Amino acid sequence: MTALKAAVHQQAREGADLCDLGIAELGQLMREGSISPVDVTTACLDRIARLDGSLNSFITVTAEAALAQARTAEAELAAGTDRGPFHGIPYALKDNVDTAGILSSSHSKIFADRMPQESATVARKLEAAGGILIGKTATFEFAIGGPSFDLPWPPARNPWNRDYLPGGSSSGSGAAVGARFVPGAIGTDTGGSVRWPAAMCGITGLKPTYGRISRRGVHPNTYSLDHCGPMTRTAADCAAMLGACAGHDPLDPGSIDEPVPDYLAALTGSIKGLKIGLVRHWYEEEATEEVIAAVDASVEVLRGLGASVEVLTLDPLRDYVDAKTTISIAELFSVHEADIRTRPQDFGKLLRSRVMVGGLVRAEDYVQAMRWRTELCTRMMAAFSRYDLLVTAGWMAPADPAIPDGVDFFKKRQLATMPFSLAGLPALALPCGFSATGLPLSLQIAGRPFDEATVLCAGDAYQQATEWHLAKPDLD
Amino acid sequence: MTSTVPPRPATREEIAVLARNAGLDLPPEIFEELVQAYGNIEPMLMRLRRSRDRADEPAHVFDPRKFMPETA
Repeated sequence: MTALKAAVHQQAREGADLCDLGIAELGQLMREGSISPVDVTTACLDRIARLDGSLNSFITVTAEAALAQARTAEAELAAGTDRGPFHGIPYALKDNVDTAGILSSSHSKIFADRMPQESATVARKLEAAGGILIGKTATFEFAIGGPSFDLPWPPARNPWNRDYLPGGSSSGSGAAVGARFVPGAIGTDTGGSVRWPAAMCGITGLKPTYGRISRRGVHPNTYSLDHCGPMTRTAADCAAMLGACAGHDPLDPGSIDEPVPDYLAALTGSIKGLKIGLVRHWYEEEATEEVIAAVDASVEVLRGLGASVEVLTLDPLRDYVDAKTTISIAELFSVHEADIRTRPQDFGKLLRSRVMVGGLVRAEDYVQAMRWRTELCTRMMAAFSRYDLLVTAGWMAPADPAIPDGVDFFKKRQLATMPFSLAGLPALALPCGFSATGLPLSLQIAGRPFDEATVLCAGDAYQQATEWHLAKPDLD
Repeated sequence: MTSTVPPRPATREEIAVLARNAGLDLPPEIFEELVQAYGNIEPMLMRLRRSRDRADEPAHVFDPRKFMPETA
């Protein structure tokens, strides 16, 4: 434990802001009896009430239900019933995740009053693990259309600077974790929607392997690319949250029946001997100078921890982006076709453009994109015969200003998140520096299918050696 | 390499036909949004039309086992 981490822990024991603590630290203090789930939940709700008015990270705050869950967790822990590392931990869910009896709007006018009767599997699993649902977070409309300023709720803002965007589509989840409203949140990721807001908000976000976390009850964006993933402040907390919600679900056609290991036990702190392939050309060609310098410096940290790092060349980013985007918009149209034909004016402008254009993709284009996906994935998997992990930038630039129509989805920089989306591989975005303007920068670590353990171990080792993830935005 | 689509941007009239085929009957201002969006994705679609072996399979290979009912 670094001196700074030890100081944070000591401050918590002495009654400092509980919102500054992560899942692991909260769990330890709860089990010591120093604090209770009710204390932590109350602190989170108070902070949200005080500060979220200018961040818009929540669409719904479930204060009463959260306090009831916290009292139950408190009683259970006092009676010696321990449901595991997530017991008593407050968390948030992106608003495209169904929650029984709680508004699940996907941040859209189309679903502005939607109250599902059943909760998504991921919500049920986190509840069963003893987690305390604090509320539902803002998103790009239906997890793709944004940042939009023409929806029933405003877009979330970046906790590091409210004049900037928090990335997306899991924008509210990223902002809420970055702002210390909750220690963990669930996002969804189709082309980078967990990792982008994690990168922009200075937090740690994991897109696990395709099929690792159930998407049952999560509104679809692109069937063949959709993932759920944890967003926390550290890799260790991602491990705790992933352990609470991973596992096979026969009700999700994409779910894969693979054993769920003990992710926390995999955090040995050592990456000595690991072989890392550095995909430098992706960010060298696309990223800002600050990102290039920050990622290169991070690679030196990994090397200093005993990993061997070699530069390798994979297919150009544009090839992955072309295939992913074509697949995504074609499937997106099939999700929304009834509404886009009958009530296009009820979509936000950005989502409407993305959905409509998917209807113009021909069957031949979709099949060609899927054939291209096979080729690209095959070549990427071949790299894992030589390397345990691949490393590249998490995002190519710091956050964008929060200006209506300021971000053109189709003209953004090529995204280093998309190759791992297309290949369905686990990929972790974690803080690795700051821009001169004080906005977070991010590193990305990817691994073999279902080897989240090694990815998280490397992220945790990096965070044991650095302190970027401990930096806190000044919101007061 | 064979291509069934000429390597030139679609005209507004062609985009209108594609929209009609997709069941989209759009008011003029929303049609303009579609024209702009299609101009962005059309180059992607053209780049995807590459020469491939006829036997190259897409990524979504059918697995009949997925549709078996769960057994106790």
